Amino acid sequence: MFINYIKIAWKVLLRHPFYTFITLFGISLTLTVLMVLTSFLDHLFGTHYPEGKRNRSLYIATVMQTDSSRTSMSTGPATFGFLTKYAKSLKTPEKVSILSNFSFSNTYVNGKRIKLNTKYTDSDFWQVTDFEFLEGKPYNDQNVKKGDHVAVITDALRDQYFEKDAGTVIGKYIEIENINYLVIGVVKGSPATRVYTYSDIYFPYTAPKSNYENKGMRGRYVAIVLAKNESDIPAIQSEFDSKIATISKTDIQDGQNFTVLIVKAEKYFDHFLNTFARDNSQKIFAYTIAALVLAMFMGLPAINLVNVNVSRILERASEIGVRKAFGAPSKALLWQFIIENIFITFIGGAFALALSFLIINMINSSGWIAYADLTINFSVFLISILVCLVFGLVSGVLPAFRMSKLKIVDALKA
Amino acid sequence: MLRHLFKLIWNKKGSHSLLIIEIWASFMVLFGVLSLIVYNLNNYLQPIGFEYEQVWNLDLANNQDTVEVAAKLQRVLQQVRASKEVESATRMSSNTPFSANQMGNAVTYNKVNVGADFYHSDSELIKTLGLSMLTGKWYTEADRVSKFTPVVINNKMKEKLFLNENPIGKVVVQDGKNYFKVVGVVDKFKAKGEFMADNPALFQMMAKDDGWNSNILIKTKPGTDANFEAELVKNIALMLPGWGIEVSYLKESRENRHKLTLVPVLIFLIVSGFLLTNVALGLFGILNLGIARRRNEIGLRRAMGATEGKVTIQFLGEIWVLATLSLIIGLLFAIQFPIMNVFDIASGIYITAILAAIVIIFLIVTLCAWYPSRQASRIHPALALHEE
Repeated sequence: MFINYIKIAWKVLLRHPFYTFITLFGISLTLTVLMVLTSFLDHLFGTHYPEGKRNRSLYIATVMQTDSSRTSMSTGPATFGFLTKYAKSLKTPEKVSILSNFSFSNTYVNGKRIKLNTKYTDSDFWQVTDFEFLEGKPYNDQNVKKGDHVAVITDALRDQYFEKDAGTVIGKYIEIENINYLVIGVVKGSPATRVYTYSDIYFPYTAPKSNYENKGMRGRYVAIVLAKNESDIPAIQSEFDSKIATISKTDIQDGQNFTVLIVKAEKYFDHFLNTFARDNSQKIFAYTIAALVLAMFMGLPAINLVNVNVSRILERASEIGVRKAFGAPSKALLWQFIIENIFITFIGGAFALALSFLIINMINSSGWIAYADLTINFSVFLISILVCLVFGLVSGVLPAFRMSKLKIVDALKA
Repeated sequence: MLRHLFKLIWNKKGSHSLLIIEIWASFMVLFGVLSLIVYNLNNYLQPIGFEYEQVWNLDLANNQDTVEVAAKLQRVLQQVRASKEVESATRMSSNTPFSANQMGNAVTYNKVNVGADFYHSDSELIKTLGLSMLTGKWYTEADRVSKFTPVVINNKMKEKLFLNENPIGKVVVQDGKNYFKVVGVVDKFKAKGEFMADNPALFQMMAKDDGWNSNILIKTKPGTDANFEAELVKNIALMLPGWGIEVSYLKESRENRHKLTLVPVLIFLIVSGFLLTNVALGLFGILNLGIARRRNEIGLRRAMGATEGKVTIQFLGEIWVLATLSLIIGLLFAIQFPIMNVFDIASGIYITAILAAIVIIFLIVTLCAWYPSRQASRIHPALALHEE
């Protein structure tokens, strides 16, 4: 029975190549847009190189000082001291790393300027992240303690600064703003979209110009807290919250009129959302806008499919009439159309998969995002299959239902 | 004729409702995307108001050094100005052109309160950025003797704050405690690039002992290259050990800013382009089938003496009526945007977007209906009636 329906569907598809094309075009393009978008979101928020432990990491990235009525506020990253006192001392996590947000610098080689992003980290940074070392090794506690002028650079910077094919660069010096740093490691770079681990060059936080001695609360450092496993996250958050709760009023004031301090250890996505929407009403607004846009972008092709299907199925009224006259129940006809639609959506889905694969490969190799590693992973594929089914049902059930209720006489007459 | 068409459509409202929804949804998507494009295009067409080609931005960070910061900055400025490759140089707050930084404040004059972008600079900014003066003059060292901090405003600010009054010499107040005296009006200043709206701006003369604003804009002579830059950075690094030094070219920063605006627009454009192609193909298919099913009706009309043109017009007219119905529903939604001034965008932009969306929708439905209608009109009456 099932095979039969599919055979019929296949014949119908071949009978009207133009309509088949319209339907497939709609399905595959909608799904492609969706898949590319999902894979981009996954690239932004998912667990990927070099933050391979992001699923069990918490980010402490913003300190917000405000007054009780929230008329004035001051937000930004924290100071090194603040994070050492309240984050580094946490008992529950496996490791805590403190790192600076990236800042800019320039270096000059042979009259050419190289723009640089610099980052200061502690030695735990290399355990919390899993950077791949192409050469050399990371700096350790000893380097940090002694304030060595050492640096870890990315392969991209190595290729720009040092002559190619000159052998290893470990042990060579790189000059930045009149200070020579000894290169001790070369890592595979991180894409710029991973804002906390991305940089061209990494220094121990005791290197010059890192400002780690700054006092107060607001500085340029963030912390990544690595849990032993995912289930520990709530425990870490509550431990951190209770630590923050002990901060005295005078500390919060920080010389200004602030009375409220908001610092949270959050998962990456929550943290990201919070930087855009400060309170719940803003969050609801953001979600509504996103939902509306998504509804439009998915609803339009769906309506279109329903429309096309309605006219296609109406065209087949005589076929249905004959089947009904020979005693096929409405239910069987309904199933036939549903299966037919799911079948065509899956064909569209296969096209979409191939197309997305192509586009994603293009994005990855275009250099539009350096080190981009967009992938179609299993979850993205699963979502798209699910969407396939929804589309198939939405665009199939309505016309099929209408058709299956058609009177035999009318159907045969047409 | 028109009433007749409406009657025809109304009689089949059930089967047409989905078509109407589809055209309505396309209109809404088009309206959204076009608003975005018209807004950006409208901004882009207005001049940026300053020169950036030869200008570098020297970003200094004093880091742990907190001793005599202002004096050190002043010395760097003098050193920069002394170089033969430099035409002029000025200190500026961190919200330099094309940077991500913004500084907003509100000032009051005669109970009118206007929010503006605040820029701190010294007397050389006008030369470095090539701003064009409308009235008055740029502040100079001589203006320091005045009791109030001298400021220059842009034309947009003047329009909002002073309406038709002459602003020169007027005193405005910020937060009820900082008093500024307006000494000049410049034309436009779109610091975030061509795609930024022409916002009110206020330039405030930097205090002599200001150690907070540590950016220096440098206008270099033509032909200056990275060698001078390396030398400059080296010299400053020697003068200011422990300071962070970063040089960027405004020309490059501008391109980055542009990308930030253009990439989302491009993505929306591509996605909505696909959606509309999708809709157009779907419409074409539906109309094709729908018209093909009305062969006998067409045959009859032709037999009664209707010309090919009249038959074509009838089918086009039907789809136009359908489109008009959908657009009326769409307008009910879209018109809220200019009325309620959503996102603080001028209503003219929304109205242009609405008109453009209407034109495009009519174009699409006409294109989609044209071929099937022509085909239908060519049906030979004898053949069509014979089939019956």
